[in-house]
Amino acid sequence: EQWGEIEERDGVRLSWNTFPSSRMEASRLVVPIGALYTPLKERAEGAPLLPYEPVTCKAPCRAVLNPFCQVDMRARIWICPFCLQRNNLPPHYKDISENQIPPELHPSSTTIEYRLSRPAPTPPTFVFVVDTCQEEDSLKALKDSIILSLSLLPPHALVGLITYGTMAHVHELGYTECAKAYVFRGNKDYSAKQVQEMLGLAMAPGARPGGQQMQPQPGRPGVPPIGGAQARFLLPVQQCEFQLTNVLESLQKDPWPVANDRRSIRCTGVALSVAVGLLETSFQNSGARVMLFTGGPATEGPGMVVGPELKEQIRSHHDIDRDNIKYYKKALKFYDGLAKRAAHNGHIIDIFAGCLDQVGLLEMKGLPDSTGGHIILTDSFTASMYKQSFAKIFDTDAEGNLAMGFNASLEVLTTKELKVTGLIGHAVSLNKKSSSVGETECGIGNTCSWKMCSIDPAASYAIYFEIAGQGGPAAASMAQGPQKGLIQFLTYYQHSAGQYHLRVTTVGRNMSGPSGDPALAQSFDQEAAAVLMSRIAVFKAEVDDGPDVLRWVDRMLIRLCSRFAEYRKDDPSSFRLEKNFTLYPQFMFHLRRSQFLQVFNNSPDETAFYRHVLNHEDVSNSLIMIQPTLDSYTFDQDGAVPVLLDSTSIQPQTILLLDSYFHILIFHGETMAEWRKAGYHDMEGYENFKELLEAPKEDARELIQDRFPLPRFIVCDAGGSQARFLLAKLNPSTTHTSTAGYGGVAQTAQTIFTDDVSLQTFMDHLMKLAVSGTG
Amino acid sequence: AQGATGMLQQGMQGVTQQFSQMGMGGTPQPQQAQQPPATQMRLNPLQPVDISVQGQPFHVTDLDQPPPPIILPPNSSVTPSPHANCPPKYVRSTLNAMPTTASLLKKSKIPFALIIQPYAALHDAEDDVPVQYDQVIARCRRCRTYMNPFASFLDHSHRWRCNMCNLTNDVPQSFDWDSVKQQSVDRWQRPELNYAVSEFVAPQEYMVRAPQPLIYLFLFDVSHAGVTSGLLATAARCILESLDRIPNADRRTRLGFMAVDSSLHYFSIPRDGGENNDARMLVVSDLDEPFLPTPEDLLVNLTECRANIESFLGKLQSMFANAQTASSAMGSALRAGHKLISHVGGKIVVLSASLPNVGYGKLEMREDKKLLGTSKENSLLQTQSSFYKSFAVECSKTQVSIDMFLFSAQYQDVASLSNLPRYTGGQTYFYPAWNAARTEDAIKFATEFSDYLSSEIGLEAVLRVRTTTGLRPSAFYGNFFNRSSDLCAFPAMPRDQAYVVEIAIDESITKAFACLQVGVLHTTCNGERRIRVMTLSIPTTQSLAEVYASADQQAITAYFAHKAVERALSSGLDAARDAVQSKMVELLQTYKKELGGGNMGGGGLQFPANMRAMPMLFLGLMKNLGLRKSAQIPTDLRSAALCLLSTLPLPLLMQYIYPRLYSLHDMPDDAGLPHPETGAIVMPPPLNLTSQNIVPYGLYLIDDGQTQFLWLGRDAVPALINDVFGYEDKNQLKQGKTTLPVIDSDMNERVRAVVDKSKDHKGKGCGSIIVPPLYLIREDGEPSLRLWAQTLLIEDRADQGVSGAQFIGMLREKVLS
Ligand SMILES: [Zn+2]
Ligand SMILES: [Zn+2]
Repeated sequence: EQWGEIEERDGVRLSWNTFPSSRMEASRLVVPIGALYTPLKERAEGAPLLPYEPVTCKAPCRAVLNPFCQVDMRARIWICPFCLQRNNLPPHYKDISENQIPPELHPSSTTIEYRLSRPAPTPPTFVFVVDTCQEEDSLKALKDSIILSLSLLPPHALVGLITYGTMAHVHELGYTECAKAYVFRGNKDYSAKQVQEMLGLAMAPGARPGGQQMQPQPGRPGVPPIGGAQARFLLPVQQCEFQLTNVLESLQKDPWPVANDRRSIRCTGVALSVAVGLLETSFQNSGARVMLFTGGPATEGPGMVVGPELKEQIRSHHDIDRDNIKYYKKALKFYDGLAKRAAHNGHIIDIFAGCLDQVGLLEMKGLPDSTGGHIILTDSFTASMYKQSFAKIFDTDAEGNLAMGFNASLEVLTTKELKVTGLIGHAVSLNKKSSSVGETECGIGNTCSWKMCSIDPAASYAIYFEIAGQGGPAAASMAQGPQKGLIQFLTYYQHSAGQYHLRVTTVGRNMSGPSGDPALAQSFDQEAAAVLMSRIAVFKAEVDDGPDVLRWVDRMLIRLCSRFAEYRKDDPSSFRLEKNFTLYPQFMFHLRRSQFLQVFNNSPDETAFYRHVLNHEDVSNSLIMIQPTLDSYTFDQDGAVPVLLDSTSIQPQTILLLDSYFHILIFHGETMAEWRKAGYHDMEGYENFKELLEAPKEDARELIQDRFPLPRFIVCDAGGSQARFLLAKLNPSTTHTSTAGYGGVAQTAQTIFTDDVSLQTFMDHLMKLAVSGTG
Repeated sequence: AQGATGMLQQGMQGVTQQFSQMGMGGTPQPQQAQQPPATQMRLNPLQPVDISVQGQPFHVTDLDQPPPPIILPPNSSVTPSPHANCPPKYVRSTLNAMPTTASLLKKSKIPFALIIQPYAALHDAEDDVPVQYDQVIARCRRCRTYMNPFASFLDHSHRWRCNMCNLTNDVPQSFDWDSVKQQSVDRWQRPELNYAVSEFVAPQEYMVRAPQPLIYLFLFDVSHAGVTSGLLATAARCILESLDRIPNADRRTRLGFMAVDSSLHYFSIPRDGGENNDARMLVVSDLDEPFLPTPEDLLVNLTECRANIESFLGKLQSMFANAQTASSAMGSALRAGHKLISHVGGKIVVLSASLPNVGYGKLEMREDKKLLGTSKENSLLQTQSSFYKSFAVECSKTQVSIDMFLFSAQYQDVASLSNLPRYTGGQTYFYPAWNAARTEDAIKFATEFSDYLSSEIGLEAVLRVRTTTGLRPSAFYGNFFNRSSDLCAFPAMPRDQAYVVEIAIDESITKAFACLQVGVLHTTCNGERRIRVMTLSIPTTQSLAEVYASADQQAITAYFAHKAVERALSSGLDAARDAVQSKMVELLQTYKKELGGGNMGGGGLQFPANMRAMPMLFLGLMKNLGLRKSAQIPTDLRSAALCLLSTLPLPLLMQYIYPRLYSLHDMPDDAGLPHPETGAIVMPPPLNLTSQNIVPYGLYLIDDGQTQFLWLGRDAVPALINDVFGYEDKNQLKQGKTTLPVIDSDMNERVRAVVDKSKDHKGKGCGSIIVPPLYLIREDGEPSLRLWAQTLLIEDRADQGVSGAQFIGMLREKVLS
């Protein structure tokens, strides 16, 4: 892969690696110029870390000195490529020369990290929000996992505990006389101010909130708070571990009675709002995670997603489609409001669900989406998938620091040819205007800066650009070699070790020459492009109707092919794509069929989860989600052989290993399954069969290793019910296409493809439409 | 047929079973009309005396006299038991001979009322009342009167006649049969026929539900004031040390604890012997809608959680060591507490040193010193927030009773807070400016609180008065809720209060004596449903002279104390005092006009001997802390005094109105020593409350039952001081609240014995937890203390009040004019 090396170094993949020089040219590319950027990507050799402040351009530019800058070594002057201003190098750079250049100017230092002197206001903070409406075993497993996680935290990390069921309890861990908790009703929408007052965190000396006059009582002091949140509710883990462990260990199932025909009363909304309110007081803009562990849907108070009566079912995609949703809009509004507050304060909200049914993730998804929180959906907290995924959150880097950054901001600077149009990923806008901000908007736009409450080494953001230049003489005149368009990504974040860091990635790409430059087509990265387009499609799907989105995907694909394929007009058989375009239609084919756009086979919670994960991962992981990989194992070959993601790959004498990112599935062909059931692998003389059975398992283990959240692992046989997970992903080349399944697009004049067509049919249609120029 | 007979009898003339004898009355028609024998009876004769100074004026020892005897016709009761009529300890009538007609009663100007004190002690052991355990309860079908010594039997004892309404009822089958022992019983030994005061164990039909267990829910003030005054620590320790005294014979007693500042703190206490034995604290700051944070372990069984309760109480003080809050959400806490116990009922014990200034029923600091002594003072005595009455009524309906222990040094609004006990059968105990650092304060509260906790209170009680046909209970006074016209409801019935029920005469009474029966249906703190029945019979008369001659001046004063409190709260202090004074004038005028008393010449004033104390008692009432005209009395003190005036058992009420004064420096030789026969400490003779009885070199004890003053004259000799206090120099004595030192001196020992005996309320025939604090007053010492003590010398002329002699003179003038 030609782009792999750059990605390895800079964490960036671009859809186009040559930038068109005119707006017109750019519009003809169909796929927008975009970057999938993984700011904190861990490099094999470790990122260069400079223990000093960066040299920056004058305000308001503030670009950081980088290898693309022109430096006059003698005059000690550097010219900022973004604003073309001349800056003096600081005095301590006086000794630099051609042979002795500072690391940030080294050509390989397109990505560099600074450890800034600015310390984080507080150590990383963790608030566990624990649902106690659970079966004893699940609650026990959950408690154990949290207790275990305490040992994974740095000793100075602050921890707090909120438990909830019918009511929400904020545990005062700093109180040592006995177990003490503040209790909030589950059915009341507490404002931030109320939460703070009720926790005793907002009292001004001498005055009671609410304006009541106190008796003037000489000799009695006013009401100084007994201690801030930091002394009472959020304490260093090394200080309160004993107390917290005790509280967790003695945590019982919610004591309020629940009738047989009812759900537990669960005030998830209030618990979260209290958690957000607690952090809001004294932890604004300092890194904190609220980790919600929920065992079921909210059934009480603000944010309830289903009533307590069991006969009332939790909403499905159909209900949402039919607008038959009692609590949805109110809940959505409530959680989005919380998400906004949390994101504003720089606080992360993770959601861990241990429930066979839905928990209302659809309504709550704004919380992790805006704050970069994790989502783990699992049937129970006893599941190893939960335990391992949860533990993985606390992975550390080579120095032993938590591999998580907090309270980050990402700023994008561009040279004048480029403008940034938006970002799709787990971030919120910081509403910063600059000369780099484009006119159009793609994703979260109208800003050059975004906030990420959480940022981890895998977190990847799609950033989109437009071309500002009109092309023509101005561009052509600077014909001293190819002109470069530059993008600088500045990522400030609170490192878990305690200081702020700044990661700087500067990307330079040639501008295209006069129109029709073949370099443009050659610079197309179809994988990056597929992922960047997927993010846009999902972003659209959140607001638009499913069919509209599918139509948009199709239209874009046809237009791209019309533009870049070679063909004779109206002759589909003449249709040819360059090598770096050939896979793209397949990606789109699978994207259309994926759970990201076809929602009706999943619950709304699952859809929210899948989309959330897609918006976090890099190119290669995203591609697996879009187009799963399929490997085949059989006697005649050595190890795994990739096979087509096609129903023809199912053979009686093979074992298949499907990786759809969320599921890893081992499928035994008919004969393989029979033999296994007959126990041949345990018999002497059949060692090779035993080895064959083991091989995919071993490979699966390998795959699971680095994945977050852990995928669901399924082993199934031909004809088994679990095999449906495989069949759903395969190209239905051997089946007929007339399905009556969900999500089918009505056959109208505008519809180009029917659903669940085979790849071949899809390609036939595509070629026909592309060459006709009707896209 | 019997029923029809009964109906007929109703229309017939009332008949007195004058000649009823044991087992007599077997004929079907024994009720031949007979003349009321009143004229044949000699009741108490009128003994007029000159009550003015030059005559035979009131002497304090008059107050030790029993009320005029109740003289009933012979054989009025069905057994010859000496206990057949109700002793004054339990029920005292203002009139021990009652007028037969309403007009005569009206003419007399004397109220007809009963002063009812259902219990004579805090514990059954000190107040032995016979109990009928067999659950056979004979009651009149019509008026529901309980079988009593004044009922009569007829028809071979198969039937009995109701002494109230005359209806003939069947005697219950098992009346003479003990089903437990399976043997016949001698009917004439049954307690209800021998004792006017007796109890029945109630069968199932007297219960709407299983008898409730005893429940105490403690609300601790943990605001800055509550903690720094030492209240929390003292209360917790006291409860801890009193756990064995809290009645719990049935092992069902449950306790709950809450702490209050600007938030509500609940405590969940696990059962003993579990994995985790520590209490959990759950804090609720949502005062708008207080709620229970958990359905479990907030109200726990004393027996099952004993060890964990003890460890909780041991830790309670340290839990709030850092109390800083100056707010108290006691109103919200009460709501929450009510929520916690309302499904069972029980006692909420509020221990607070703060004005509730946030949450439900929040109160303003409204006292303004400038208003004191003016007509505007009246509004301060009224409740500030309707919450306190409406919530109290809600509590009453759910069998929740509230006691207030109030400790603030600042204005706490006793007037508003006292509504809670008033309507729920509770009490307001006020300890102004209490501080545990003062040993006397700590000991007083701890002693009282411990006795309070040990008290065998009744639960879910109702009190009803039944009377001879023609009479009717018409008004009720005391701490309870008047649920219907004649039913007084007590979620808990204390053992240290009295109640007043006024009786109206609707029809002329033709019987020789009338009966009044007080029934108290209640659950004992041991979970037994019981009925305490008190039956009082009073002769009737058509003679106003006999009415006056049998008037009970102390009962009458008690009645007017309640009326005065009612008046003070509705119309103000001036109106209340005026009414008391006018009443005195009216009685003297009536006596003069109707019975030829009055001017005896030479400045004399005539009144019956049995009513001689009334002018001084009335003067004492007007000069009482609760009613006295003064600009110096903080509203809370006044309100607390009004609470006492309307709840104290009669003996304590009399002492509160007319305190005891003893001279100690010249005690008789036997005073202060145990009586050679009874072993009781002999008290010095009491003196009238006038400074004429106080010499400058003397040592005196003034005791109003709530406070004791040891008065040391300015010329007291060092030897006396040394003998009593152990110092020769009086300047070394600690003035104010103090404790008498124990020193090796006879005088010291005797003084202490007198002081202690005076403190001891047990001997007075009523329940009380009060331990009066002792103040040392030096006549030449701290003036404010001296003035305070002098306000108790009510026969003296003071600041805004007349002397006893002036009062009599003024009365005389009015009577003669
Ligand atoms: Zn610049
Ligand atoms: Zn009757």
